[in-house]
Amino acid sequence: MINSDRLLELKFSVLRGLAAIFVSISVAAILIFIISDQPGNALFQLLLSPLGNERQMWNILERMIPFLFTGLAVCVMFSAKQFNLAAEGSVMLGAFMAAMTAIYVPMPPIIHPIVSILVGVITCGLLMLIPALLHTKLGANVLVSTLMLNFIIQFCVQFVLVNIVADRSQGALMTYQFLETAGIPAIRFNTSYGLVLGLAMVVVVSLFIYRTRWGYAIRMVGLNKEFSAYSGLKVAGIIILCQVIGGMLAGMGGAVEMLGFFDRFRWRLLPGYGWNGITIAILAKNNPALVPFAAFFLAYLSRGAVNMTIHADVPFEMMDIIQAVIFLFFAAEKFLAGYRQKMVVKKAKRELGEDLPAKKGG
Amino acid sequence: MRGITKIYPNGIAANQAVDFSVRAGEIHALMGENGAGKSTLMKILMGLEQPQEGEIFLGGEKVSFASPQAAIAKGVGMVHQHFMLVPSLTVAENMVLGIEPKKHGVFFDRAGAVALTKEYSERYGLPLDPNAKIADISVGMKQKVEILKALVRGAKILILDEPTAVLTTRETEELFKQLVILKEQGFTVIFISHKLWEVKQITDRITIMRGGKSMGVHTTAGISEQEISRLMVGRDVMLSLEKEKAEPGGSVLNVRGLNYTNQWGNRMLKDVSFTVRAGEILGVAGVEGNGQSDLVRILWGFESPDSGSVAFEGAEILGEPQSWLRELGISYIPEDRMVYGAAGGASIEENLISDRAWGKRLNKGPFFNAGAIRKECDDLIKRFKVLARSRGQRVGMLSGGNIQKVVVAREFSAGPKLIIAEQPTRGIDVGATEFIRARMVELSRQGAGVLLVSADLAEVMQLSDSLIVMYGGEVVAYFEDTSALTDAEMGEYMLGLSKQSAEELGRAAHD
Amino acid sequence: MFEQIASSVFTTAFLASVLRITTPILFAALASVISERAGVANIGLEGIMMLGALFGVIFSAWTQSAFVGVVGAGLVGVLIGLMMGWFSLKLGTDIILSGIAVNMLGAGGTIFLLFMFTGLRGNSAALDSRMIPALEMHFLEGIPVLGAFARQSILTYVALLCVFLVFVLLYKTPLGLNIRAVGENPHAADSVGMSVRKVKYIALGISGFLAGLGGAYMSMFYSRGFTTDMVAGRGFIALAAQAMGRGEPLGAMLSSLLFGAADALSHHMQGTALPSQLVATIPYVITIIGLSLYAARTIGKVKRARKARAQTATNA
Repeated sequence: MINSDRLLELKFSVLRGLAAIFVSISVAAILIFIISDQPGNALFQLLLSPLGNERQMWNILERMIPFLFTGLAVCVMFSAKQFNLAAEGSVMLGAFMAAMTAIYVPMPPIIHPIVSILVGVITCGLLMLIPALLHTKLGANVLVSTLMLNFIIQFCVQFVLVNIVADRSQGALMTYQFLETAGIPAIRFNTSYGLVLGLAMVVVVSLFIYRTRWGYAIRMVGLNKEFSAYSGLKVAGIIILCQVIGGMLAGMGGAVEMLGFFDRFRWRLLPGYGWNGITIAILAKNNPALVPFAAFFLAYLSRGAVNMTIHADVPFEMMDIIQAVIFLFFAAEKFLAGYRQKMVVKKAKRELGEDLPAKKGG
Repeated sequence: MRGITKIYPNGIAANQAVDFSVRAGEIHALMGENGAGKSTLMKILMGLEQPQEGEIFLGGEKVSFASPQAAIAKGVGMVHQHFMLVPSLTVAENMVLGIEPKKHGVFFDRAGAVALTKEYSERYGLPLDPNAKIADISVGMKQKVEILKALVRGAKILILDEPTAVLTTRETEELFKQLVILKEQGFTVIFISHKLWEVKQITDRITIMRGGKSMGVHTTAGISEQEISRLMVGRDVMLSLEKEKAEPGGSVLNVRGLNYTNQWGNRMLKDVSFTVRAGEILGVAGVEGNGQSDLVRILWGFESPDSGSVAFEGAEILGEPQSWLRELGISYIPEDRMVYGAAGGASIEENLISDRAWGKRLNKGPFFNAGAIRKECDDLIKRFKVLARSRGQRVGMLSGGNIQKVVVAREFSAGPKLIIAEQPTRGIDVGATEFIRARMVELSRQGAGVLLVSADLAEVMQLSDSLIVMYGGEVVAYFEDTSALTDAEMGEYMLGLSKQSAEELGRAAHD
Repeated sequence: MFEQIASSVFTTAFLASVLRITTPILFAALASVISERAGVANIGLEGIMMLGALFGVIFSAWTQSAFVGVVGAGLVGVLIGLMMGWFSLKLGTDIILSGIAVNMLGAGGTIFLLFMFTGLRGNSAALDSRMIPALEMHFLEGIPVLGAFARQSILTYVALLCVFLVFVLLYKTPLGLNIRAVGENPHAADSVGMSVRKVKYIALGISGFLAGLGGAYMSMFYSRGFTTDMVAGRGFIALAAQAMGRGEPLGAMLSSLLFGAADALSHHMQGTALPSQLVATIPYVITIIGLSLYAARTIGKVKRARKARAQTATNA
């Protein structure tokens, strides 16, 4: 059966999404014209250069990998309206734990990266119990506690890195090399099989969210907590579950990124993928199935921004401004609301004219 | 107001070409069932909503109110059903909100606000303590604050939205006296209500609305109560519902000695005891706010009582999680359907399975059994006559009656042994109301126990096999057989004028 | 080691550093108080502080005036606050999400803007920016406790003054009455023709201004010049300080001081045998603990009150 309400809504959200992207690209263009001596080139680099050659295209896919995981992580947590921002810290911790396993625990190939990733996943799942339990048991605000947690993770990882596991023979701060068995092999260029795992997780998480009772419960808690409690769903448990899953996904992202792209752990600061994850979740409207598209879009822009930095004179950080603008407009529920209202009124009038007599006691 | 049409963003046409006019210095009733479009019409007059079509004239001058400010400036004031007061501020502070007197140009002049409040309260004979906090004063007092608030802002036309719904009888009488005084001073009052006798007692003319349209204007003296009710609901109200006599079985729910104090320190329940038996509908009647909703919240585990016990089929259920209550076979139709009963942003399907998502029937291993869910939902939509485009439609897009049918479909189809129904037909259309009532009777005759909590006197009296009346947090009356009950008798108990003896009340326990 | 810490904590120098470190947190906490009381959760404070820090430096370098720098930083904060208001009040962006967006602007956006306005990357060391002068009060030196005030920045006094000003604003002016009404019952405010939006815009503007000053303090007194990530979570800590202070200006000040003390302690312990990275986590750990204790206490209070009522009810 065609559901015309949903169709209208879909049409409208696509339209609004495109408008939001258009606005943000326009902002980027304006900034480029202000800052750059060669605005044409800079714009070309930002928007079109990622299509330049095969290597560029693979690089987009490579950039997508951590985005996929953190995007999914945030989708799951935001689906239950839990503003948990510790995906950022989880990426770093997951990567670090995987790196430790990759360096110090010898294992046969294939098994080694799998176990290393699992170590990262489990650690981060457990980590998320902290903010989740503090929230459900004591009522502590998740937003603030997870923001603090990110800093704590950063300093703790720094501490271990500097004082315990640093390779002193190197000039810069980094660990020893991962054992050769631990790396995730590349599909092509630097793009590892982590991409396949990421896409597999998209399928798994989509099925989980839309086809299982737990995913259903997570969405219901997000839509209406009182209704969920009244219905007999175990709200506190669901709130904990979604955060643990979010932590696990983000931790997996960190581990995969670390083992697939690096050979030593050398992050001193939080990598920022958690924040990208929030942008992606907003773009995907918390729907895990849309995460690959949102992640691709962001990866594309990010590759463009890198090219722009290298081949033109605009700094990479413009990316953050573009992201913030897209983010603000995408999440703006009333953006173009006037237009939407017109569409609805037109439709309602048409229907009143058509099937008013048919509607009794509705 | 001429030709007012309003279509909400969800596509509901709340007003269709409505004409409405009021004369200066009269008390004019605006009547209609919930959802008839009265509130929308008044919101448009107050500038809270904008109509798609139509014009407003005030004293012959064409006006349009883009905001409440504009309406207030032209002398239109409204007393909302839910008071628009800030609890932590004092009466005087609330009084001057938005038009604060100033001291030295910058500071808030508290003394000035108090003086102003005193002046108005004396001028219109509405005594108040300007320094009391809103959180500490009675409902009747709050209403006075609301009326004075409008007068202070220069209102000549006062809109009162169901002002008596929250008042005691005495407070209502007092309010009516004050309204008459205001009328004599030249004020115009628009009185929204669906209580016939009130309207007959106090108003000069009546406008009746139904289904978003005006059913015409009448002088109060020239129209009979039957006529009004016919115009409001479109046909004569069905006065009796066919139902077989109940044959109550064993007790399903035993409530004993419940005491409850709410978070503001008010004693809401005092030693409440009763029993619901299988196969009967036990009605809980009473003016709203006499402890009924606290009772239900305790039964459903949302609050815990100070003392007392609640047993279902002999086993204590106080403190058990909602999932367990459902497992035991208890269903609950909550009063506030958009907060508890349904998730407006979720589909009909998702709303229908919220209590059984963990059931074996709807799951295949770790996954949902999509086929079984589809079948179950389509079946429920059909059986409960939910008017919707598909099971994927969002519940928030449905009309009130259909949303309630979704809630009822879920609760009634769970195979309940006990149904707690709280205001099950409030604010929904006649068709849905009759349908839901008939299903409820049907289930009780099949052996379920029903606890029906309703402020709608006609509803409890019609549907209940036996009945308790609550007043001031106490059970003040128990009637094992409701067939011989009269409105007058019920009124005595509901308004706290009489109370049965302990012995008579003890029968409610069926020990 | 413990003695070493203890002896350094109970000194005037330590108190002075507590004040120095508390100042930016206090500004942001007051900013949070104003917006929270108007019913707006401003989690973009971190980003606003970053932008304030950047523009304080830029404006002061352009005009060679610290005063213009500070005021400019405040005004940039106002602008960002109003922008958040526009998105959340007009366009319906969740206020938390618009706060996150502002934080993104604060993180990467400031680096971009620094480059755009000055051609510098990452920090403003090469820029000849002005510093906020300290108020030299030599006569206080040597006096226990009061000695801590001897060489504080003018902005520290402004911050302390702001505690008082925010109190007066909230409780003694019509605007404050409106802010509290809007925060507590927006429908009530709306129904009397008060513009809820306008009041929220004003609150966000003031909130942005205070956070902007906090940012200026970071780059124009606390450190010399702007560097990447220099606010380092102070905007978030301020949110916790506001929550623990129950949205009251004085309460926010006391909890800001608590966090300031924790941070100062971590600075004082840097020289000790404890590793600096672990010491650096102290303020964040304290924030989580403080937040949890505060939340737990609130819940506990409700429970205890219930119990007490139940007692009297059964006795009666």
